[in-house]
Amino acid sequence: MQIDFIAILPEIILTVTALLVLAADLALRGDAKQFVNPLAGLGTVAAIIATVALWGSERVTFGTMYVVDDFAVLFKLLFLGTLLAILAISWRYIAEHRFFQGEYYFLLLTSFIGMLLMPSSRDLIMLFIALETVSVPAFVMVGMRKRDLYSSESALKFFLLGVLAAALMLFGMSMVYGFAGTTDLVGIAAAISGETASVPLLLGSVMLVLVGFGFKISAVPFHFWAPDTYSGAPMPVAAMLAVASKAAGFAGLVVVAFIAFEPVADVWGPMLGVLAVLTMTVGNLIALQQRDLIRLLAYSSVAQAGYILIPFGLARTGPGAAVVNAAAIEAVVFYLIAYAVMNVGAFAVAIAVERRTGLRSIADYAGLSGRSPLLAMGMTVFLLSLGGAPLTVGLWAKFAILEAIAVDITLFGIVLAGFLVVNSVIAFFYYLKVVRTVWMDEAPAGLPQLQPGFNLSAVVVVLMVGTLVLGVLPGLVTDFSSVISIVAAG
Amino acid sequence: MTGHDVVFVLVGLLTAGGAVLTVTSKNLMHAALFFAVTLGGIAGVFLPLAADFLALVQIVVYVGAVAVLFMFGLMLTRAPIGREALDGQNRGLAMAVAGGLFVVLSTLVIGAFGDLPTAEVTGPRIDDLGIAIFADWVLPFEVLSMLLLAALIGAIVLARRETGESGEELTVTRIEMAQDRDPDALEREQAALTSGSGGDGEEHA
Amino acid sequence: MAIGYYFIVSALLFSIGLIGVLLRRNAIVLFMCIELMLNSVNLTLAAAARMWGGPDGQVFVFFVIVVAAAEAVVGLALIVNLYFRRGTLDVDVPQLLRW
Repeated sequence: MQIDFIAILPEIILTVTALLVLAADLALRGDAKQFVNPLAGLGTVAAIIATVALWGSERVTFGTMYVVDDFAVLFKLLFLGTLLAILAISWRYIAEHRFFQGEYYFLLLTSFIGMLLMPSSRDLIMLFIALETVSVPAFVMVGMRKRDLYSSESALKFFLLGVLAAALMLFGMSMVYGFAGTTDLVGIAAAISGETASVPLLLGSVMLVLVGFGFKISAVPFHFWAPDTYSGAPMPVAAMLAVASKAAGFAGLVVVAFIAFEPVADVWGPMLGVLAVLTMTVGNLIALQQRDLIRLLAYSSVAQAGYILIPFGLARTGPGAAVVNAAAIEAVVFYLIAYAVMNVGAFAVAIAVERRTGLRSIADYAGLSGRSPLLAMGMTVFLLSLGGAPLTVGLWAKFAILEAIAVDITLFGIVLAGFLVVNSVIAFFYYLKVVRTVWMDEAPAGLPQLQPGFNLSAVVVVLMVGTLVLGVLPGLVTDFSSVISIVAAG
Repeated sequence: MTGHDVVFVLVGLLTAGGAVLTVTSKNLMHAALFFAVTLGGIAGVFLPLAADFLALVQIVVYVGAVAVLFMFGLMLTRAPIGREALDGQNRGLAMAVAGGLFVVLSTLVIGAFGDLPTAEVTGPRIDDLGIAIFADWVLPFEVLSMLLLAALIGAIVLARRETGESGEELTVTRIEMAQDRDPDALEREQAALTSGSGGDGEEHA
Repeated sequence: MAIGYYFIVSALLFSIGLIGVLLRRNAIVLFMCIELMLNSVNLTLAAAARMWGGPDGQVFVFFVIVVAAAEAVVGLALIVNLYFRRGTLDVDVPQLLRW
């Protein structure tokens, strides 16, 4: 069997980097240990270059198990970009809080290897392994603040729920395999569409598989881990879980839903649509009551997952479905990119504020505008964008979803659009509450000026500029995301 | 009834019985031992399924390693022998949910697979399996090696005690929970708040 | 004996595991019950592999076993770590986190 090593070059580079990081951590002593961070960053940049080189080509290797097309490349760039940002915001945080640094970066890179594999996988086994490679290092990273009881408990909760979701998903996968006789996604689609009558067991199995991904993206009945885990984990890890790990879940969900289960899209489409409504409504309503910023961001990320689920609710099968499905995938990818830019930014600001003061409740952000205008500006832009304000990328992301709905207007689509609009309005209440605290409230006496380090400032500035530039010129991304429709045809 | 069927019925009963006792044993150590019996039973069920290799892996990895790991875990945490009661309030609910699930699953399974031919298939030979793993499935296999390394490193990180290198010196993060303002929308959140930690405000250990 | 019986045993194991997950309060035993569910998955896969012939299903089981072992290592490390911090493994004890 011929292996196309160019196709898996980004993964190979990341693997080598992870092992180098581990070795470098052994060699370095004391304060020098923090320099494994730029090493990991170099590896990430190399992986980005290798990934960009793959754009425009379609490579299939390992049988048909691994496909690198534009869809996969776009997702890989999203993950690697997020990794770069997370490395930058981790540096000071991890060094100052005296974590096991080499091990932390090794686990982080390993988790991202799993993510890179996700959008390219065309096989149930590969998807399962990729998902577990994302999860297992994450379980450990969440529990890395060992002296903090809260961290230990949230890690255990995350772990137990994660393994339970994996078991449910595997049970579904095993039934799907029993039904189709193959683990190849295209083969499964062929086996399903070959069936004349719908088999209840098959539909049940499909639901179970979707549950596994629902956990990863923290859709509503499976979201209980998210707020506790985000607030218990080291903050860069929370950012990773909220953005990269969630995007990986969505990548897997797109692949498995739109390729393997495409013939039964009539069943899971409406179900995921209902899930989307539940997720955004519950997420937003609980977020309204939060007083801790990380918990607020956690519930807001639950709500955002609901928005991203809407296009899945539009999926259908039969004649004319390809156009609708392609538009849905496009909307998902564009929203995820926008979401990554604005949410990583929000977490970066939260880290900058917490790192100096150890404060994290929303009240502690009072008068941030006086203490650090840059961070205050950043927080405002990111939160307004998450809410979907004009001139930010968040608005276009919501437009992308509405556009996908408008491709073929149905009653269900209109209902989904209605919920999207109402929820966006609700969300503005809590985003604006934070913004008001930042700009209007008096800072409590005795709080020091904030001077975020170079890395954090750079991340905040880059992401802020990105949010605004994409808000004016969304074409910079949509030009790319509009050519990825091939996945629906596959 | 062929020899295979006899083996299946015997180990199947052993497995199911072990599983029931694992779930119901009040003595945690007994639960772990029954867990090991169940795992051994599964290895036995693999044999009439012509999965010899899996039976061996099951015994080596599960019975030999995972079950022992669980027992070490119980002993390290000084499990209160015989003290842990089952959660009485949810018992009926749990039984109903699981019983319903079982009935639904088995009817669906029989509906889907019950009428399939059951010709004597000889399973793949071990060398075929080896070729499959190292040729067709080499990518997941290699990724799995990274996953195992990560699990190893992770376990070391969590277990190692070294002064000054395991996160900051906080005991408990200050996290302000939600205010209970809107009673209708969020019953679950609310119930947990009142029973768990006494309403809004800051949390301390 | 029809392959369906193997699926029934696995469904039984899955349901028993689920009862355990709902009833047990000690984190280690809870985890054990989840492992039972994973084992029922293995059984289903092995039965399906027998039904279809070929190595794919058995390879899947092999991978699941390995992943489960890795998860067991991480999970028990987390559990023991929590025990040293909190002194109990009862998931119902009033705590910071709410299930």
